Amino acid sequence: MGEAVFLMIVGMVTVFTVLLLVVGIGNVIIRFVNRFLPEEVAAKPATSAAPAINPNVYSAICSAVSTVTGGKGTVVDVKKL
Amino acid sequence: MFDGLFEKLYEMTAIGAFVDNPGYLLMLLISFVLLYLGIVKKYEPLLLIPIGFGVLLANLPGADLGIVAGEKIELGVDENGRMMYMNLFEIAHEYGILNFLYYALIKTGLLPPLIFLGVGAMTDFGPMLRNLKLALFGGAAQFGIFAVLLIAMASGAFTIKEAASLAIIGGADGPTAIFTTIKLAPHLLGPIAIAAYSYMALVPVIIPLVVKLTCSEKELKINMKQQDKLYPPKYTIKNLRAVKIIFPIVLGTVVIILVPSAGPLLGMLLLGNLLKEIGSDTQRLTTAATDYIMNPATIILGLCVGATMTADVFLNLKTIGIVVGGFFAFALSIASGVLLVKLFNLFAKKKINPLCGATGLSAVPMASRVANDISTKYDPQNHVLQYCMSSNVSGVIGSAVAAGVLIKFLM
Repeated sequence: MGEAVFLMIVGMVTVFTVLLLVVGIGNVIIRFVNRFLPEEVAAKPATSAAPAINPNVYSAICSAVSTVTGGKGTVVDVKKL
Repeated sequence: MFDGLFEKLYEMTAIGAFVDNPGYLLMLLISFVLLYLGIVKKYEPLLLIPIGFGVLLANLPGADLGIVAGEKIELGVDENGRMMYMNLFEIAHEYGILNFLYYALIKTGLLPPLIFLGVGAMTDFGPMLRNLKLALFGGAAQFGIFAVLLIAMASGAFTIKEAASLAIIGGADGPTAIFTTIKLAPHLLGPIAIAAYSYMALVPVIIPLVVKLTCSEKELKINMKQQDKLYPPKYTIKNLRAVKIIFPIVLGTVVIILVPSAGPLLGMLLLGNLLKEIGSDTQRLTTAATDYIMNPATIILGLCVGATMTADVFLNLKTIGIVVGGFFAFALSIASGVLLVKLFNLFAKKKINPLCGATGLSAVPMASRVANDISTKYDPQNHVLQYCMSSNVSGVIGSAVAAGVLIKFLM
């Protein structure tokens, strides 16, 4: 029984310590990122072809093609049909 | 020529074994109930169907598909005092393919961490990072584990290792319960896995029951979005993707240094999550973790866990104790989370809906969805899902840490 009480105390203290660390580490990382990496770096287009569309849309298409083709596919041109 | 024909036919079939030991029939009935719950009622079908079929196979006498006790593969002690075991070929030859799978993949503790890899790849830490303080309530919910450990020890029916394996059901996390039981009380693996997954399937019933007993209507109407407007967070996240990538790396490093025994589960959870958050560059690995690794691991785990439930192992008083104790572990975990929120609300200006405490047990994301259903029942505009997900996800971390502590001190 004494061992069970010991485990309860050690267990709960450890769980709360770890979750306090989760909170602390999370806060430190958020502050670090807000200070040093505040914005997402837009992915460079895979080709040098200058798209005649909104760069955000072009990035989204590149990302979708990369996801679907497992990184093998590249966007050569985007045309409005 | 036909002398003793019927006698030989009778001996050839397994009918005699059913007559000699009616427990087999009862176990077949249990397997049919599990299959019914999985197929018709859709209670955790991904697990209950393989488990139910494993129970069925293990209790067909003469097929020799049941998992044998660990002592049967022991070969005695060598000159250095170390226990020697049959190799896997001998196990397959002597006890069949299910024992081969069990001793190769489950007894070694391999499959639960592999499943955690897939769980990590399907987990989003975003809601927790947006509401970090709520993560602490995932800790309170682990109280049920240790409270039931005390109760089980006080009952005198369980050894400390068995009590710890029973208590971890309160973590509401199947792989964690199985991993802990493999390490501490492998002979109870079947009933503990069944109890854990059955109660996880009953989360939509258990959470509303405990919440009804512990919370007032006024408390359940606390609107977290309004509270956020009244007391806005100190800062916003400017680049969530970068935070999500850095978080599992740093957290894994720090926590596994602190609790190394939680490493197999937590390490794989965080690796899976990292692969997911990196995005398209690791998409193939994420798909492998969530599909090609997790799915076969789930089938083999469920089948072998079911196959441990032979009549002689399952039909005893300890199984009843596990079923009852597992329920208390679950209910106490939910109640502890609720009570910590209520205590917090006594002193804090920014009130928290107690449902955020109730979801501190793992069972992601079902517990949060159930909590959201409860809150919207009292106020259709009051959606607490994103807030509950914070304590829900931290509950996964909390239960893995609690398991690590139990394994560290009891193995």
